[in-house]
Amino acid sequence: MATGFLTDTTVCIGCKACEVACKQWNQLPADGYELTGDSYDNTKQLSGTTWRHVAFIENPKKRRLTGDVDLVALAEDVTQPLPGGAELDALGRWAFMSDVCKHCVAAPCQQACPTGSIIRNEFDNVYIQPDICNGCGYCVPACPYGVITQVPHDGRAFKCTLCYDRQKDGLEPACAKACPTESIQFGEVEELKVRAEERVQELHDKGYTQAYVWGTPEVGGTGGIGGNHSKFILMDEPETYNLPRHPFLPQEKVKGGVIAGAVAATVLGAVVALAFRD
Amino acid sequence: MSDAARQDNQQSNGKAETTHHPETDPKREDKNYYGIPPIKRAHWTWQIPIYFWLGGIGAGTQLFATMAQLLGHRDEALARVSRYTVLATMLLSPVLLVWDLGRPERFYNMMRILKLRSPMSTQSWSLLAFGNLGGLIAARQAAEDGLLLGDNPLSRLVIRLVPTRLFTVLALPFGLFVGFNTGNLISATSVPIWARNWMLMGPTFLTSGLSTALSWLSLVLHLGRWGEAKTLRVLHRAEKAVILIEGLLIGASLIRMSRWGKPLFSKEVAPLFVGGALLGGILAPFLLLSGKERRSKSMLASVLALAGGLAFRFSMILAGRKSADDPEAYFTFASGESAPQPEDKV
Repeated sequence: MATGFLTDTTVCIGCKACEVACKQWNQLPADGYELTGDSYDNTKQLSGTTWRHVAFIENPKKRRLTGDVDLVALAEDVTQPLPGGAELDALGRWAFMSDVCKHCVAAPCQQACPTGSIIRNEFDNVYIQPDICNGCGYCVPACPYGVITQVPHDGRAFKCTLCYDRQKDGLEPACAKACPTESIQFGEVEELKVRAEERVQELHDKGYTQAYVWGTPEVGGTGGIGGNHSKFILMDEPETYNLPRHPFLPQEKVKGGVIAGAVAATVLGAVVALAFRD
Repeated sequence: MSDAARQDNQQSNGKAETTHHPETDPKREDKNYYGIPPIKRAHWTWQIPIYFWLGGIGAGTQLFATMAQLLGHRDEALARVSRYTVLATMLLSPVLLVWDLGRPERFYNMMRILKLRSPMSTQSWSLLAFGNLGGLIAARQAAEDGLLLGDNPLSRLVIRLVPTRLFTVLALPFGLFVGFNTGNLISATSVPIWARNWMLMGPTFLTSGLSTALSWLSLVLHLGRWGEAKTLRVLHRAEKAVILIEGLLIGASLIRMSRWGKPLFSKEVAPLFVGGALLGGILAPFLLLSGKERRSKSMLASVLALAGGLAFRFSMILAGRKSADDPEAYFTFASGESAPQPEDKV
């Protein structure tokens, strides 16, 4: 049985309850008091101490509102012409997305890990065993989503465990538990896949044809990664959410690199041997 | 607030803006998230490029020494210098690598598993094999040189038990693996400039390692006025050919990297890459070696090639940092056919 997340960005309200719940349950330290000025996002990205991160996207592609606009009427999903000729996507001008480790089917971090610290646990989640990690940091540039980082002062790499400890006790992960809008759903990957498709269909029927699932083998899982156990329903291009369109498995080319190296070694051996001929 | 005041406020603002970033919002064309890098760069500091450099010197030295042995070229001084060189590089490399770890006291966890898909894992194991074989060979050399406290039972035992010629040949594949795997180590990541060049990264690092090794050997032999005339002649010829190959491979790598190779020419990295690695480390030594053979010129060429090899490794690591920090580079790389695909063939 594989478990995972389905993060439905269309109902995320940007409350950051998931970030707080994650930090509390996993006893993660604060990231400081930096005010970025980038909307209401002050944690900026996923890291070794931020395992859920809510992105605040002020979508530049939607039209700008000018004039005296009736915001209440807007919130009630009016479809008649707006005052001042303004246009607005009824889902609002902001998009929020609670980002998390993608728990790749073929995980680059796990393949990179030289100590075998990163494993797949019995829930088929990608899990770092903190008692084995020696902080080589090689998983960090391997991750195609920038999820893992080393934690300063600790030295080891950390990331979302998909609340391994809670799952063992039959509980859902802290972020999913705390989410007030069901934007974060936890469950079996196969079931979530069906739920995601149904939700996208529902959105399409309502006229939001731009909605799609990101994290399937076709989208956001090419290049050998084979899909993600953390799926997302997105309303915009992946790059808007700081996600790559076609991430790839870097280790796909290790064998080729070794063959190329062996060929080069043979050629260089021959060159040196030739230099010995007088 | 009174109606009049509200009116006043609205007028002074011109139009009421609901957008949060009035200056940047409407015209923003870039498709990234506040310019925050979508991937994380490697943390590697100075220890890693220096290790790449030392590992390359060790690998190249082993290649030259083994070829000399296999082709029946007996030169005591060359054998001695190359054995102690391999020992020195293999003593320093693990120190640098362990130093770089977040939890250095757990370095031995590298040895709890062998993962063929992880260049970091195969690197650790090949270093272990190469370092130990090289160490045993050097121990016998030291015993023969009387460095193990003169003639005593221990040194006699070492001389009797260590089959130098067999170990030299056995160590070669591990040494070569260490040499080219330093390149594969960085190309098996999500960093565009490295991942893009997966095929030529290993060969380029190995060739650069060999050129620095040949330069080192020729420098030391010239300095000590050791070594036979033939050894120095062979080194001179090999240096010239290998530097030429290195230049060609770096050129091919730049073509392969195409737009993602730009960080190498950024204002932070270009002095090191263009000035240090290309002009100082390849062009200048090649020109010096091309002219009439002279001891001083050859030594200058060696020093330049050694420094150039170090500059090359530092510039690759620094360029990788810039490449990972550039959202545009990663998104264009991971948006189509540019990234390595499973169906790609060698």
